[in-house]
Amino acid sequence: MTTLIAAKIRDRVQRIETMPAIPAVFLPLLKMLSDTTKEVRVDEVVRLVSYDNAIAGQCLRVASSPLYGLAQAPPSIKAAVISLGLRRVETILLTCCLGQAFPTEKWGLDPVVFWRHSLACALVCRKFSEKLAAADSEKAYMAGLLHDIGFMVNCQVFSQEFSTTMEHACLQEIPLYEAERATMGFTHCESGRALAEKWKLAEDITEVIACHHAIERCKKAPALVALVHLSDLLCRMRGLGYGYYERQKVDLISSPAWAILLEKHAQLEGMDLVRFTFELDEAVTEISALVSAVFGAAAAQSAGKR
Amino acid sequence: MTIAPQPATAPLAFAKKSEPVDPVYRQIRDLVYKVSGIYKAEEKLYLLADGCERRMKQLSARTPRDYWDHLTANPNRDGELRNLLNEITIGETCLFRSQPQLDALRKVILPEIVKEKTKQITKRLRIWSAGCSTGEESYTLAMNLLEESEKLLKGWTVEILATDLNDRSVEAAKAGIYGDYALRCTPELFKRKYFSSVDEKKLQVRPEVKKLVTFTRLNLQDNSKMLFMKGMDIIFCCNVLIYFDGESKSKVINHFFTNLVFGGYFFLGTSESLMKLNNEFHLVHFPGTIAYWKPSLNSGKL
Repeated sequence: MTTLIAAKIRDRVQRIETMPAIPAVFLPLLKMLSDTTKEVRVDEVVRLVSYDNAIAGQCLRVASSPLYGLAQAPPSIKAAVISLGLRRVETILLTCCLGQAFPTEKWGLDPVVFWRHSLACALVCRKFSEKLAAADSEKAYMAGLLHDIGFMVNCQVFSQEFSTTMEHACLQEIPLYEAERATMGFTHCESGRALAEKWKLAEDITEVIACHHAIERCKKAPALVALVHLSDLLCRMRGLGYGYYERQKVDLISSPAWAILLEKHAQLEGMDLVRFTFELDEAVTEISALVSAVFGAAAAQSAGKR
Repeated sequence: MTIAPQPATAPLAFAKKSEPVDPVYRQIRDLVYKVSGIYKAEEKLYLLADGCERRMKQLSARTPRDYWDHLTANPNRDGELRNLLNEITIGETCLFRSQPQLDALRKVILPEIVKEKTKQITKRLRIWSAGCSTGEESYTLAMNLLEESEKLLKGWTVEILATDLNDRSVEAAKAGIYGDYALRCTPELFKRKYFSSVDEKKLQVRPEVKKLVTFTRLNLQDNSKMLFMKGMDIIFCCNVLIYFDGESKSKVINHFFTNLVFGGYFFLGTSESLMKLNNEFHLVHFPGTIAYWKPSLNSGKL
């Protein structure tokens, strides 16, 4: 990528600040989640969420989805934290905030499809990481949720170019990042990185956003990037991609990402990937239902505007 | 001896369902998976439950828990498991059963094979439909390949070899006559193009489709005959291996591996898996389906 394009992306990303739809709690929450040196206190999260009733309500609803583990909606954020743990409630909050972080018009990509992919990827990352007994499965969830935020940038500030990209990808049945490279000269990885830097996301999450299609380039968190790379591919192969057919054969076990992950987690050797795949299929309906519940209103609004 | 029901694999699952499926059915699902490699996902768990209930009636078992004992503690447990497998795979045969497999074939695999073989003088594609039953899968493949005959496969010779153990099935397959139920997934376009009507309710496959397929009787456990099935580009063997025990299954799979050309593909039924029965095949994902790949010589992945 030329420095000229990089400058153009940075310049356009700066304009995102002027957009009105970012919930007030979103950036402080991101900051809290990214700051690893500071121990997050329950009261601080509860106080933060109390500023936004809509987000709090949505969070409680999401917490009661079978995908997150509670049989019924908890009565309060504090109760949710007691049952699910602080980390999980934070990532649920992030999920809800992100759904509202951008205005819903001007999408080259169907927002419902985009959110379904992001959420599915987050859940697969978390489950994958639990299977590997990795230390921080909520971090994996967050990485999966945010990995494609570059698409939000492209939809917002390169909307015309990105619409062409989308058409090209659907027509050729090729991965979106290939279509981006062919039609725009850069991908959502570069624009995602610009946004991640602006938001001062943690280094490992930024690397996931920037390198999940070019794993050889990552330096700080290869295992996390590898995990997201594999989960992303698996979702796209199981009907949780971008809503069109991608002509692809994917050999996950022979991929460099698998080797990177195996180096860190020997348990991967014994993993039954076919069963994991079938289990993901089981979750598809739940994921779609959740996306409709969380983002449905916004998506319907967007459809009305188009 | 009675095996106490173990907790089902809830911690493994993505979602904990709240609907009232008897948890014993999840245990039976895990047992079925362990023995046969067939996995009925939560969405299709009701199919498994229906199958169990039909068997329970036969056996006068009152509760799923009683039936679990039949499957695990009864002297005839192996026979009962086979009966259950028969129940849950029944009626799964129809034309165009798995669109994702057909898409993978036409959109990914054929272009790859055509590209790989571009330098060969004889352009020949060989597909084996192993355990073809009454021919639904074989003809579905034939019609889809005919669709490519003026495009990707122009100038190619296509052979589909379809085998089954059962003589009566082979005869029915040769006749190629199907009713509504077998044709429920067949697109109208294909019905018009590749079938002629026999009577009000039945359609017959046209001769140009039949020409592509050779039906014969073959026992997949007949080692000497299996040695002659060489040079296959793709093998389909859907919902057949469940009838074999571990050792014979592994033998059959090794035959399939040997009979495939390098770079060839092996497909199972949509909810089946090879588990750990063969380490040489590579598991590959296509949109909506999985297959097993025998790495090509130049891929360096053997």
